[in-house]
Amino acid sequence: MLDELEAFYRANLAELRRVATAIAGDRELGCDAVQEAFARAVRKRRGFRGTGTLEAWVWRIVVNAARDARRRRPAVSEPVERSTNGHAPVIPLDLLTERQREIVFLHYYADLDYAAIADALAISPGTVGATLNTARRTLRAALEEVSS
Amino acid sequence: MNEREALDEYVPLWIETPEWEDVLRRARHRRSPRLLVAVAVAIAVFGGAPALAVVLLRDSKPRLPSAADRSNVAVMLQPRTGRIVLEVAPWKGHDGFCYFAYFARSGCVPRSHQTVVSAPPVFGWTFDPRVVSATATTFGGKHVQLLVRRFRGRVNATFFLAGRPFALLHNIVLRDRDGHLVVRLRR
Repeated sequence: MLDELEAFYRANLAELRRVATAIAGDRELGCDAVQEAFARAVRKRRGFRGTGTLEAWVWRIVVNAARDARRRRPAVSEPVERSTNGHAPVIPLDLLTERQREIVFLHYYADLDYAAIADALAISPGTVGATLNTARRTLRAALEEVSS
Repeated sequence: MNEREALDEYVPLWIETPEWEDVLRRARHRRSPRLLVAVAVAIAVFGGAPALAVVLLRDSKPRLPSAADRSNVAVMLQPRTGRIVLEVAPWKGHDGFCYFAYFARSGCVPRSHQTVVSAPPVFGWTFDPRVVSATATTFGGKHVQLLVRRFRGRVNATFFLAGRPFALLHNIVLRDRDGHLVVRLRR
């Protein structure tokens, strides 16, 4: 189990950090959330029952750790959108709900399919599809408005 | 610009060195909040009674049973990682052995003629000295080699287990040096 966790960590580190950074709203916090999440997974590995995939189980822990990091962010920190890449965002993510954002990040950054996202967020694949469609529509409309 | 391009700009992909050792260090050093609360309560109630503190702070991970002769512990290593996957020691005051498998299974076993296997994950032992190799079958029909190690001396038994703890395996076959079937166990 420890070997599987390490292999998953090494193979997906870039995607894990990217998703965690997007959710946490800060690169340093996102990277720290990934480290904490895997430490948590290592400690709790015997609790993994094998009912879902190991990948989904780990992603769930990573998403939770990133959410925790976001909540712990100091109130005086920079706005989320500026802290991730150093300049103002072109994408109006504040138009999306927290759930929509998480699904968008897991879909685009981690390249997870609906079933894997559903497992990771403990929701149904149908909800993932519907939420993702709504989020895309919102983003497209906003981007069109910005570019026009 | 479409939403994918905009998202790529929001958090660009970057490559950094993995820090797996840091993960393991964090996993080792973090105690569970429940345990910390217990320690705090103990200190508050008993004014820091050292004996109780020692009991509460003792690592709660499963280990070899206390009936094991700890002066005579042998281990089995995962060849690929070098990690300990099994600890075995003679059973104090009995003809048998005690074991601790890395997936938190442990116990003490009297010597008998039986070959025993439990799963998942596959783990077992045999007192038949002819056994030198073991295979199992995945539910997809693939044959996989199990780790096998014979311990001599007072333990005097052969152990076999799956290298990947969460692999679902069945139909375990134990063979002798010439590849002849010694025991077949179905799970």
